[in-house]
Amino acid sequence: MSYGVEIFDASGGEIFSSTDSTFTLLGVYTSNADTTVTHANVPIMPTRIVTRVMVDQISGDDESYVHTFSLSGSNLITTRPSSTETVKTVFMVFGK
Amino acid sequence: MAHGLLVKNNNGEVLIDSDFKHYHFLGKYTHSSLTSVPDLLEGGVASGAQGSNANKGVENMPAKGEIYKYQVAVNGATPPICFVKPTSTGSNAPFAGIVLTKQVSNYWEIWIFQSAVTSASPVLYCFSPLSQISNSTSSTHGLKTFDSSGAVTFDSRFKPLKVVGGGNITAPALAHTGSVGSGFTVSLNVNASNVSTSFTNQSSASDLIYYCPSLAHACQQYTYIEADEGWHSYTYYAWARGDLWWCFYRSCFRIASTSSFQANYGVYARGHVYEHKVDSTNLLLGLVLGAITGGAYFVAAIAALGNAGVFTNASVDGGNYLPYENGSRNRSANAFIISKASYYD
Repeated sequence: MSYGVEIFDASGGEIFSSTDSTFTLLGVYTSNADTTVTHANVPIMPTRIVTRVMVDQISGDDESYVHTFSLSGSNLITTRPSSTETVKTVFMVFGK
Repeated sequence: MAHGLLVKNNNGEVLIDSDFKHYHFLGKYTHSSLTSVPDLLEGGVASGAQGSNANKGVENMPAKGEIYKYQVAVNGATPPICFVKPTSTGSNAPFAGIVLTKQVSNYWEIWIFQSAVTSASPVLYCFSPLSQISNSTSSTHGLKTFDSSGAVTFDSRFKPLKVVGGGNITAPALAHTGSVGSGFTVSLNVNASNVSTSFTNQSSASDLIYYCPSLAHACQQYTYIEADEGWHSYTYYAWARGDLWWCFYRSCFRIASTSSFQANYGVYARGHVYEHKVDSTNLLLGLVLGAITGGAYFVAAIAALGNAGVFTNASVDGGNYLPYENGSRNRSANAFIISKASYYD
């Protein structure tokens, strides 16, 4: 590589290279069941994507909703679609 | 940043920021158990003297997928990021996705649903913040960063997560489109078109692992009622039969190529409830038909559902013997992340 950063282990094996990595995990945010929450101080990058995972369900076929969200500036606004059937949701924001 | 380390690539994309709590490799996990949801079957007479006895089981219904259960040991409240190393890739590969993430004492239980039964099994590549990893190493080489509180946020000795691609993907509106059946023949197979989205092209599809939890689920049903009455051998007869077939689907995903990620559904659970009444003395067919709507079989089906540990919110009181009918939930786009298994093997 002509520029960037590479990190090697003691054996000379490459651990990390700036040439082949893209998205970085910016933060992890949790919205509890049946709540509407705004998470502040989310790092801002030109491109951000958000993964959601439903947490602590009883089984794989619960009748439930996942939080919806909007990401605006440094605020991640998470909304419950239902006041009684929205599960705990973990948001992972990646950016580049 | 006032202090710390910030590394960007030549596109200006941030790769390392000492303020971020980077995830690091926990390990590879194979499943601890394999299961599928039992068929939910309830019905009346198996062989009625009058009327059709066709398809009182699950004939013509689509095959179910299977559920792989994993136990990922990580002691902390933040769930691990578990990438799926699929059993195969390409246009004929099964779809798979995380359908359950649950903390149980000092480990996380992860369920992977795969749309088809295969001899091979998906493998999980899991990552967690350093604060939740108890690995140790004697290596003295590498790069280590700290945040302003002095907590370690990046340590190259513990294989930090490297993401090579990502994007957003949305499941199809419904798993099955078009007619859902005719007569006693049900048609609830997954026939929705795959949803495809692209990511940065990679050299080998079989080396790729992905993180994209399943959010969307759909439920569709087919109902059919048939009845007749008349005189036969100086006896008046009446019969009626009513059936309800249903499938519950979960969204799942696959690596279609070195640059294509696809979503569709798999059959997570299925059932068939029916009533078949034959009466040679009751001249009022309407009464027989009325019996068909009785809830006894649905109550039995609900009990079976409860025993199987599924559809925990279903209730016969509200007529909800299914989670919902002919609809889907949680279809909004979810992000997917791509990495490579070879980084961690």
